[in-house]
Amino acid sequence: MKKHKTKEREGDHGTPSGITRRAFLSRSILTGAAIGMASQGFLPILNTVDLAFGAESFRFAWISDTHLYPETLNTRFVEKATKAVNDVNAMKPEPDFLVFGGDLAQLGDPAELDLGAEILKKINVKKHFSPGEHDWYLDMGEKWVKTFGKPTWTFDHKGTRFIGLDTISRGPDYWSAKKMTPKERMGHMATLDGSVAGPWAGVGKDQLDWLSKILSDWGKDKPVIIFSHNPLYEYYPPWNFWVRDWRDLHEVLRPYSNVTNIHGHTHQVLYNEIGKMRSIGMLATSWTWPYAPEGVPVLTTPMVRVDPGDHFDGVGWGKITVTATGKTDHEYMMWRKDVYAQTQVDSGIGDNDNQILSPRYADRP
Amino acid sequence: MKKHTLFKLGTVAVLTGLSLFVLFGTDLVMAHKAKHTPEQLKAFEEVFMEQVKIGDLLFHGDAETEKMMGTRLSRTGMACAMCHPFASDTHPQEFPKFQEQINKFSTLRDMINWCIEKPNEGEKLDPDSDAMKALEAYIYWSNRGSKLTPGVH
Repeated sequence: MKKHKTKEREGDHGTPSGITRRAFLSRSILTGAAIGMASQGFLPILNTVDLAFGAESFRFAWISDTHLYPETLNTRFVEKATKAVNDVNAMKPEPDFLVFGGDLAQLGDPAELDLGAEILKKINVKKHFSPGEHDWYLDMGEKWVKTFGKPTWTFDHKGTRFIGLDTISRGPDYWSAKKMTPKERMGHMATLDGSVAGPWAGVGKDQLDWLSKILSDWGKDKPVIIFSHNPLYEYYPPWNFWVRDWRDLHEVLRPYSNVTNIHGHTHQVLYNEIGKMRSIGMLATSWTWPYAPEGVPVLTTPMVRVDPGDHFDGVGWGKITVTATGKTDHEYMMWRKDVYAQTQVDSGIGDNDNQILSPRYADRP
Repeated sequence: MKKHTLFKLGTVAVLTGLSLFVLFGTDLVMAHKAKHTPEQLKAFEEVFMEQVKIGDLLFHGDAETEKMMGTRLSRTGMACAMCHPFASDTHPQEFPKFQEQINKFSTLRDMINWCIEKPNEGEKLDPDSDAMKALEAYIYWSNRGSKLTPGVH
């Protein structure tokens, strides 16, 4: 495996002052030299092109990747999920709704999913649920669907079309031929850097057809926000930081000029633009994944290195504002003062400039 | 008499030394001078990769391997690989160095034990134990090719 290819500038490459938590989703009008700057990790502060729809501004909240174990085994993930719930309930004015973005449970255990349902029940506003692979592969989604409903959904809210895509349930069968127990199947799925479960993340032809139909009556320049557990582009396939059919998905989305994808799974600050679609990677409440050894989008301003001695560091939830002009703005609610790295040595990417990694050995056939 | 005895002792000592040299010394020297056969090199690699495999399984919280090695690396359900997929962010090439969390000049083994004890709330390992060496083998193997930069934060 090669050294990561993310471009880094020598020395200080932090964010300009004034951007402390927000991902400014505004670079569709960047050209020339400005793109050069963005590729260095600096995000120039520019406003988006105002698209007036006469809609009203509103906010919603995001929580994902709580990875709950039974409380008897691990209480710290419960503490952090509860903290996020309390934070959302403390929002003033309260958000219009909450999206839960998957990986509520760690091993799909019904006790874990029930614990999660109990914690999220305390949120006062309406909730929408997308599953993660950790919620699904013990019983193939039976408990999830019974508790939280179907994994694919859509609704319109104040001039924006919201879509929940299921990117986790269409994993190719890696268990039958090997006669795995449900627990073994789940165990392989829960190992991020394992190779046994293969390229499980995908949207699927059926869902692409559905998406195409859902969008057919929607104005091409009207705001669309798509929620998914996995990123909808190719970041780092060995850790399934992608969906395998992302190119087909982008074909479906091509006519639409104001699409934002909000995803979980990667447990880190991420930002990308593919075609006309913007993509925001959200924080986990449970723990952070390191940046992948290659493929980190150059538009991403890296988050800080996390203190492994403080399990509240580098994690949190998300606050999203959709403006009256159809602009989507996200604020990382990380439980620390500085979200973005200010120097190379404190950057989650810059720190690994000299790191060359190899895929695992023990899970090779 | 005295001189004779000393002479005899001296002779014995010289002879003993010589025979030890013949028995072991030359063999040891020769062992490194002989060309390695492909079979030997393969055997060396097999010994190493066996340890990498054990380390990989321990690193990923494999219950059977933990039992075999007699370790308890975590009490939280968390395994090393949950923060370090592909052993990323372990930075073996930077040790030894001053390690902030431990507040002392530390080796990779010190850091492994810190992670076991603090975030994982497990039982730390004897630094010279087989389990520690296996974890070290996996971490180094996963990061091979990284430039040695000891002391770097």
